[in-house]
Amino acid sequence: MPRAPIKIPLSQLARGQRATVECCALDSLPNEHRCLLAAMGMGEQCEVRVCRPGTPCIVQIDQTRLGLPRDIADRIMVTPIESKTP
Amino acid sequence: MIPRVALLGNPNTGKSTLFNRLCGLRSKTANFPGSTVEHQVGRCVTKSGQELDLIDLPGIYSLVLEMPESKLCSDCLDGRVGDGRPDATLLVLDANNLTRNLQFAASALRRGLPSVVAINMVDLAQRRGLIIDEQAASQALGVPVIAVSARSGQGIDRLIEQLTRTATSSSIPNPDQPLPNSEPGSTASAIWAATVFARIAAHPDEKKVDGMTIHDRLDAAFTHPLLGIVLFAIMMSLLFASIYWLAQFPMNAVDGIFGWFGSGITSLMPAGTLRDLMVNGIVGGVSATVVFLPQILLLFFLLALLEDSGYLARAAFAVDRTMRRFGLPGQAFMPLLSSHACALPGIMATRLIPNQRDRLATILVAPFMSCSARVPVYALLTGVLFADRPLAAGFAFTGCYVVGGIAGLGTAALLRKTILRGPSTPMMLELPDYRIPSIRNALTVALDRGMLFLKNAGSVILAIAIVMWWMSAYPKSTPTPESVALEMRAVEIAPTDPSAAADLRIQVSRIDERTQQNGSFAGQLGSIVQPAFAPIGLDRQLTVAVLTSFLAREVFTTTVFVLAGAGSNAEGEDSGTLETVRSATRDDGLPLFTMATSAALLIFFVLAMQCLPTLVVVARETGSWRWPLLQFCYMTAIAYTAAFLVYRFMS
Repeated sequence: MPRAPIKIPLSQLARGQRATVECCALDSLPNEHRCLLAAMGMGEQCEVRVCRPGTPCIVQIDQTRLGLPRDIADRIMVTPIESKTP
Repeated sequence: MIPRVALLGNPNTGKSTLFNRLCGLRSKTANFPGSTVEHQVGRCVTKSGQELDLIDLPGIYSLVLEMPESKLCSDCLDGRVGDGRPDATLLVLDANNLTRNLQFAASALRRGLPSVVAINMVDLAQRRGLIIDEQAASQALGVPVIAVSARSGQGIDRLIEQLTRTATSSSIPNPDQPLPNSEPGSTASAIWAATVFARIAAHPDEKKVDGMTIHDRLDAAFTHPLLGIVLFAIMMSLLFASIYWLAQFPMNAVDGIFGWFGSGITSLMPAGTLRDLMVNGIVGGVSATVVFLPQILLLFFLLALLEDSGYLARAAFAVDRTMRRFGLPGQAFMPLLSSHACALPGIMATRLIPNQRDRLATILVAPFMSCSARVPVYALLTGVLFADRPLAAGFAFTGCYVVGGIAGLGTAALLRKTILRGPSTPMMLELPDYRIPSIRNALTVALDRGMLFLKNAGSVILAIAIVMWWMSAYPKSTPTPESVALEMRAVEIAPTDPSAAADLRIQVSRIDERTQQNGSFAGQLGSIVQPAFAPIGLDRQLTVAVLTSFLAREVFTTTVFVLAGAGSNAEGEDSGTLETVRSATRDDGLPLFTMATSAALLIFFVLAMQCLPTLVVVARETGSWRWPLLQFCYMTAIAYTAAFLVYRFMS
């Protein structure tokens, strides 16, 4: 039986780690922040790469870099993507 | 009728650079009636002579967000503001962020206006190996698509040609597949954008980066809690020093030119009221306005360079944590720091702050920062206070800056907990790519800000300067018997001892200046309000000096020199002048500057809102006289209380 994907807060990813922003990942945020983040490129199923963990948490989505405060990154749930071994 | 074209796009798409490329200097900052959100308007003239009016709307991520900028753009497209619906839109997309930008373009195209899409920064994209098919993009979006580089000028001529054709036609978007019926960021919109991207762009060499890139390393350094602050401090010191140092040359030139102009008028016109008005009122007033321009131009030029380089967004994060303790966002640091040169450009720079409450709090506390106009006052008073103790004078001088800073930040914390209470907007910022800033763009921004200052604040400052001149110059006093006697003595000895006669004439002019100052309306007003300043140790003469310094703080030193009999051209750094000021007396014969009076005045000038031009700019920036009035009352009350306590303690 396949394991359910593990969801963790974006703030817990390590530098360089990639993850997928899951459906309902932004639900715990106020509506205005959720809409802004989605319009900035952090929509459902988008892939993020952590450029800098901590405060600010800097993530890259496609070619866009977003800086987020720690408390916002704490509330965005993502599914880490296993890095492929060479 | 000249066709009107609205420029729309996400932030950091190079939209304003493209606007500046299309309009050059034929542009200005404007507001729609009832809105405080700014936009640029300009005119683009094609090679064939066709004119287009361009409206550069603020960069937004979506037309439906609950933000003033989004609402303004939406209202403009629907014709709810301005002169009805624009004839066309120019949608500016970043070639390097196409999937997100396409989603925004789709939502704008759904409004049904004739449109042209400019895919900007295509040169950067090509360097990354991205190839964009204009033809396929035109088919997918149903409007003409032109790949351009606003910086290098690539594709601009084709864009202007196409824009002219579209703006004078009524062709509505006709995509070959339906546009998503949802806003940017939704799943449907993202899927549509991914499909279109796959059709119009090819990225044969794309590789996923797993390690740290140079961008990551720079971001980590610039936003590091310690290193980021250190780098920011270095950068700001350089910026601040450049403004301080570089601005002195044009400021001296402005002084020189207006001085020369005033002398010219003096020699050409017969003596009288009209000449006085021309030289001291109008030329003096224009000079008092224009003298602020160099600092404003320099600050906005350097800020535009820093913003364009991509550094400013990172710096805002570096100082955000510290500033949040005082209820202010990271973006408030820069305006507060620039206020140390002059509060006017500092207050104008608060437009970088997105949240209205944060911006208002920053505007209200900016004048607490010790500006360059306070420096001569600090130099004079610390010199008087600590005669022959330069080290103590130096500490006191530094202390003035510290006290001002603490009062400002403390007030900001107080404001955010009281009248400006409300949630702070967490800083969620897009960090633009690092790049070499465009000098051309920075020059356009600086010139625009300079013109805006002259237009909005300049006329009011000029009017105030003329009123202040009139109050100091009228009614005309008759020479005192002492002055007449000295003048006669000078005439007598002139043939035998010309140098002694010249000295006597200098004394005569100082006595006349002092008599005029005391007898003028400003002097009379000083006598009336003096009882209010008595508790902080000011006599009638010093009250006049404080009142006249309301136009500009540095006027205080000139007035004090005149009162002390050192002449209006005396220099504060001159030890002889300082000695004269120290030994000056009141009408009753007691010393004018006691330790207690000097200390009280010093703290008063650190904290008081003694600057009419700042009040005018605050009124312009906040759109109401309510805030500058509150600011004036609050700062005066704080300054008065502090001066009173210091005076009592030292007495």
